[in-house]
Formats: sequence, structure tokens, C-alpha cells
Amino acid sequence: MLKSKQLMITSVVAGCLGLSMATTAFAEEITLNMAVPDWPPTRIMKKLFDENYKAKSGNTVKLEVDFIPWPDYYTRLNASLTSGEQKYNMAVSDSQWLGAFIEGGYYRKLNDLVDPELKAILDDMHQAPLQAYGTYPYKSDNLYGFPQMPDILITYARTDVLCHADEQAAFKAKYGTKLPCTPEELDGMDWDMFGNIGEFFQRKKGEKLAGAAAADDFYGIAYQAGKGYDFSSMQINGFLWQHGAEIWDETNIPKAQAEGVVNSDTAVKGFDHYLSLLKYMPPVVKTGSMDIFKTDELFREGKIALNIEWIGFAESAINPETSKVAGKIAFASMPGLKMADGSINRTSNIGGQPFVIMTWTDDKKIKEAVDFVKWWLSPEIQHQFASAGGQSAIKSVYNDPKYTTYRPWNRTWASGLDWQQDVWHIPQFFEMLVQQQEQFDLAITGKQDAKATLDNIAKFQQRLLSDEGLIE
Amino acid sequence: MTSNSPSSGDKLLTLRWDNWLLALLAGIIAVPIATLLLPGFLAVVVAGIFIALVVITAIVNAWSRHIGGLLVAPAIAVLVVMNIFPLLWSLGLSFYSYRADRQTLRFLGTRNYERLITDPVVWDRLTTTAYLVVLTVAVQMVIGFLLALLFSKQFPLRRYLLILVLTPMMLSYVAVGAFFRYYYDPTFGLVSQIANLFTTEPFVLISSTAGAFAAIVIADAWMWAPFVMLLVLAGLVSVPKHLYEAASVDRVPGWRRFWWITFPYVKGLLLLALLFRTIEAFKLFDVVFILTDGGQSTETIALYVYRQAIQFNKTSYSSSLSYILLFTVIVLTNLYLYLANRRSKEA
Repeated sequence: MLKSKQLMITSVVAGCLGLSMATTAFAEEITLNMAVPDWPPTRIMKKLFDENYKAKSGNTVKLEVDFIPWPDYYTRLNASLTSGEQKYNMAVSDSQWLGAFIEGGYYRKLNDLVDPELKAILDDMHQAPLQAYGTYPYKSDNLYGFPQMPDILITYARTDVLCHADEQAAFKAKYGTKLPCTPEELDGMDWDMFGNIGEFFQRKKGEKLAGAAAADDFYGIAYQAGKGYDFSSMQINGFLWQHGAEIWDETNIPKAQAEGVVNSDTAVKGFDHYLSLLKYMPPVVKTGSMDIFKTDELFREGKIALNIEWIGFAESAINPETSKVAGKIAFASMPGLKMADGSINRTSNIGGQPFVIMTWTDDKKIKEAVDFVKWWLSPEIQHQFASAGGQSAIKSVYNDPKYTTYRPWNRTWASGLDWQQDVWHIPQFFEMLVQQQEQFDLAITGKQDAKATLDNIAKFQQRLLSDEGLIE
Repeated sequence: MTSNSPSSGDKLLTLRWDNWLLALLAGIIAVPIATLLLPGFLAVVVAGIFIALVVITAIVNAWSRHIGGLLVAPAIAVLVVMNIFPLLWSLGLSFYSYRADRQTLRFLGTRNYERLITDPVVWDRLTTTAYLVVLTVAVQMVIGFLLALLFSKQFPLRRYLLILVLTPMMLSYVAVGAFFRYYYDPTFGLVSQIANLFTTEPFVLISSTAGAFAAIVIADAWMWAPFVMLLVLAGLVSVPKHLYEAASVDRVPGWRRFWWITFPYVKGLLLLALLFRTIEAFKLFDVVFILTDGGQSTETIALYVYRQAIQFNKTSYSSSLSYILLFTVIVLTNLYLYLANRRSKEA
């Protein structure tokens, strides 16, 4: 009896030992190296990962994240990929870069990794971000990315200024209509109203603003008009599309033309509309450096009443540590163009970024990367991300009544997504973008009119795309 | 240990630390065998061992005879690896159609150079650069010279002021660019705030091409005038005092004293400052990149090369452009040196 008991204990101990040894043998430490832009949505992701992530495989998965400032991000990632250092397994990539980095052989095609679980997630996703972030050629069936942070342009508004009784009365007297002040009223704002607000709030230092003397010059409106990266195209595209104009259509290669399309009369009209509002904006607009960071800074410093900005910046606008106007902000849909039937066309350029996986990532890491993406896109984590200030492209998540309660801007999300389109994804996008930004800058700083600007862009694109065989 | 290299078959096969020919021969036989038989990593290790062996035996062999050459060899090796090789490599690339983000290579001959020379955009960027070179260097030379004249005199707090004046030169370009960007900012900037005391309008310096040029020239001069000052100051203190004393005895007027005594002493250093600053100004990038990003027609040729090479991945095209720039700088340098030599011969 004793002997058999001893034997049993010994075998149990041996079994436990063996099991623990087996687990140690199988559980590996795997590190995923990821390049990401440095801003709240990726910071929140890293925090959620460190606090919550347990790999399904039982491995210890670490996420090494390189936070790279936005203005340098493309150049840095491009340099890393083209140098062949193979430093990153994954990246949070801007959607326009897909073509350049897929053709270069860096981003891995993901169709073979879509199992039923992932397919269910993708089926539940809004088409606009999925196509913009994941497909190359744009809107094809080839999948290259999964949404990390979907983003759209919205209106940031100073309620303390807009809702002040004196301003309300003066605006009504001047324009015969109510100055929009609540989020719902701001939702109904078109570009004409936006322009009126710009004209109305142009206060010099010391002049009366919302019942007190303005501490500094104050302006009504701002949107991106910078020369760098895509810091004017993202806003101008919206104006072009709303007016019914088109950019070069990459879904219709090689038939689609640039000349006659990019510089059509409607496009000139749309671009002129964009330019006409700049005169009401802070004077830095004349320097070509009023990019998304500048307008964000001006807004947080309390120098403007309305700003059109990506949602990605909203978290820092409502944080008293980083914003002088925290607690005095309302968020609403981006204004649009009032159509003949009274509806507002809000077509806009989608922002946001997908996760991509690099071609040199080995199978073990790919498996962990896909598990990580599944975890990220799971309803629980998407809700946590949204409640910390992020956004979700998954319908069942953002249609949940809870979703709009997380952050004040979430009410604009579901309706805003339907209006989104994207700019080109072809490998030549950066050359096209830089030339376009240079030309837009000439118009923004008053050196060239809208027609000449769009003519130059159309001519350049026609030549470049014909040389590359993308236009016949 | 003998220092003679093996000259006969016997010596070739002798195992000695200076027998580099044997080491080379062994390497030539062993490395291909290792490459065929061993896994990749081990083959690299074997190749490395043999290369090290050849280098060591060659050094031992040449130790007593070529000691001078051996002492400069490490510096030459670094220069070759870090400078000469990339330079020649990029020269080679400039005749191909290579892009950093593609793996294809096509021989183009001189097509890249032909395209560059006939490209109006390149000429426009070169013109911009030329304007900026003339303006920044002229302003730096004048201010630097005046500062040097000031600091060659003794006055209270001179040493501390000198340190302050020299500080900008020690800052990084990026810091200077960022600093001036805020300095010129129409809403938050100091320049605009001061202008606001006199006018009600905000002052927007970078709202025109002339303003943007001024902004760049001021920032660059602020950073580099102290460098000119430092060189000129070295010339000024080397002027023998007795010459001035003799001149004052002869009652020579101030400006003639400057022209006939001071200027000849600082001329050489002034020319050197001009040379350094012109070459540097020709490569002007950082301050422009941060202040205007090439906006307001301020894109310099260096910024253009950066866009072509780093942003558009047009490696070959940008290599050819870089070679044209290198050629221009060499011509300019030689022109300066020629003039400097002629002047010194005349003197």
C-alpha cells in the first residue's frame, strides 16, 4: 500500500514536472517589432497591449513599438524598408503607402491568413475603411491591411465663445440667423455658415470676445492648409468631391485621364471655394505652414472658434493638461456643401491607418501578429480602445448605444464613415502628392490662381502616369 | 623574424608569420571549399579568418620596411570604406535606372545626366540656391567681419559676450530651425508680438518669397556669422602692434590703416571663411527644410536631392544630381584657391 502510494506520488510529481517542462519547452518569448506614428491612437494601443494582452498560443508575446513623429514617419519607414535592415515585422501604415510598399515587396498579402474568425470580423467592418486601408489595387479583393485606427475629419468647436449670449445676439443681427452652438446645430452647418463664422470672429487683441477683452488676436475658423506631407490635399479633396469633381481615378487604369479631370471647371470651382475661406483664418495660413499640427495647437491655445481636424487629435484637446480650452469644446460633423435639395454633401477624404505585416516575418511571428490583430479587432478591446479615445470600424461595436457615450465626438462617427473616400494608393503616390502639395501651396499663399494650379497638377500627373504606363 | 618577402618556392611554403603569400594561397583554396561544404554562416567565419590571416601576415611582413604606410593604413581604410567606396558606388549607380524600393537595374548611360541638365525644375532649384548662397554668405561675411572688429578691442565683459556670440554656431541646425520657426510665427512668435506693439496687424514674415528668403538668410547668418568672426579675429590679433604704432606716428588716416595694415593680414583667413561658408551654403538644407519646407519658392537643390533620393526613392537620378553638385563645388573651390594663390603671389 505504502509502496503504491509512494509510486503514485512519485508519478504525479514526475508528471507535473514533465508538464511544466513541456510548457517551458513550448512557451517561447516572441517579440513583434512595430513601427507606428507617434500620437494618441498608437499610445493607447501600446498601453492596452501591455495591460491586457495574453497570447492564445501560450507564448510570451512582447510588442516593441517605435513611436515615430508623424511628419517624418513616411521618410523613416521608407528608409528602414528600402535599406533592407528588416527591423520591423509590422507597421501602422498610412493607407496611401500601400502601393509603394507592396510593389517594393515589403508588405505581405494577407488573404491566406483570413480564417473564419477573421472573416467574421472583416464582414462586420464598414466598407470605406476596409477598402481604403486594406485593398491594393484600391477596391480590389487583395487584402494587405487591417484597420488600426480609422479616422475622419470633424469639427472642433468652442462652445464658450459660440454660445455666449452677446455673440449670439450680434451674429443674429448681422446674418439674420442663429449662430450654431450646440453639437446638433453645428451638425447642420454648411461651408457658407462656416465662412460666416470665420468672417464674424476676427477679433484683435483687446476687442470684445464673448463678453471680455480678447487676450490675443482671435479667429473664427481654421482647416489644414500646409505645404508638408498631405496637409492640404486631405481637406481640398473633400471640397472637390462635394462640388462633383474627381481626382485621377486609380480604379479605372489605364482609361482614366488626369488632364481634363483634375483641372475640370468643377474642380476649379471646388478649389476656389476652399481658397475663398482662407482669408478668415489665422495669419500663419499665408506662410504655408498651417498644417494639422498648427491648427490643433492654435485650437488648444484658444485662438480659434472652429477647427476642422482628425479625430486622432481630439483626446489631447479635451485634456486640461494639454489644452487651454478643455471643457469648453463641442464636436460635430465636418461642414459640407449645401445641395439644391437642401441636403448637405459631406464627402471627405478618409484618414486613419491599417496594420500591415512585412514579407520577411517568419511563420511563428505571423501567427502571433494575426492573433494580435484578432485581439485588437475583438469587440471587447475595440470598446476599450473607443472608451480611451480611439475609434472602431466594426459595425457591431460603433452601432452599440454605449459607443456614443464614450467620447463627445463619437456621435459623429457612424454617419461620418458613410461619406469617406480615399486618395490614390499607387506606388507613385508620393511624387504626385509632393507636386500637388507644392502647387496647392502656391495657391494658398496667393501666388497662383486655382485654375493655373490645377492645370499644372493635371499636366504633371498626365505626364508621370503616362510615363509609368498607368494612362494610355 | 625576417622582413624579406619569400622569393623562392621553398620560402613560399615555409610556415612563418610574415608569409602572406602562403596565407593568400591557403585562403584561395580553402574559402571556395568552405563555401561549398559548410553552411553559410560557418563559410563566412572561415572566409573572415583567412582574410584576417592575410592582413596580419602582410602587416608583419611589411612592418619594418613600410612603417609609415602601415600607420596611415587604418585611416585610409576608414576613408575608403566610409567615403571613397560609397562615392564610386553612387557614381556607378548614376548611369543606371536604380530605385531603392525596386530590385531592378537597367543601364541608362548618360540619360540621367541629360535629363537633369534639360530639366527646368533643376535649374530653378539651382537658381534659388545661388541666390541663397550669395545672400547668406554676403550677410555672414559682413556681420562676421564687423563682430571681429568689435571683439578685437578690449571692453568690459568682452569674454562673456564672446561666449554668447559663439553659442549659435554650436547649436544643431534643427534646433536653430525650430527656434526661428517659433520666432517668426505670426500668432505666437516674438517678431510678430513686437510688431504688434506698433501695428494692429500680425506680422507674417514668411508670407512672400522675399520674406521667406530674408527669414532663411537671417537664421543662417545668426548661426554662422560667429564662425566668420572667429576666423577673422584670429587674423586681427596676429597683426603686429608696431605697424599700427608706426602708422599713428605717420598720422595715417583710419581707413588707410585698415586697408594697408589690417586687411592684408586677415585677407587669407577671410578667403578661407568665404570658401567654407560658400560650400556649406551650397548644401543648405536643414534650416530651409524646417522653416519653409521649400515653400515660397525657397526649395534649394539640396532639398530637391533629398526629395528625389529619400522620398521618391529615385536613387540613380539623385546620384547623378549629387555628382553635378559635387562637380560644381569642386570647380568653385578651385576657383577660390586659384584666386587666393594669385593674390598671394602678387603680394
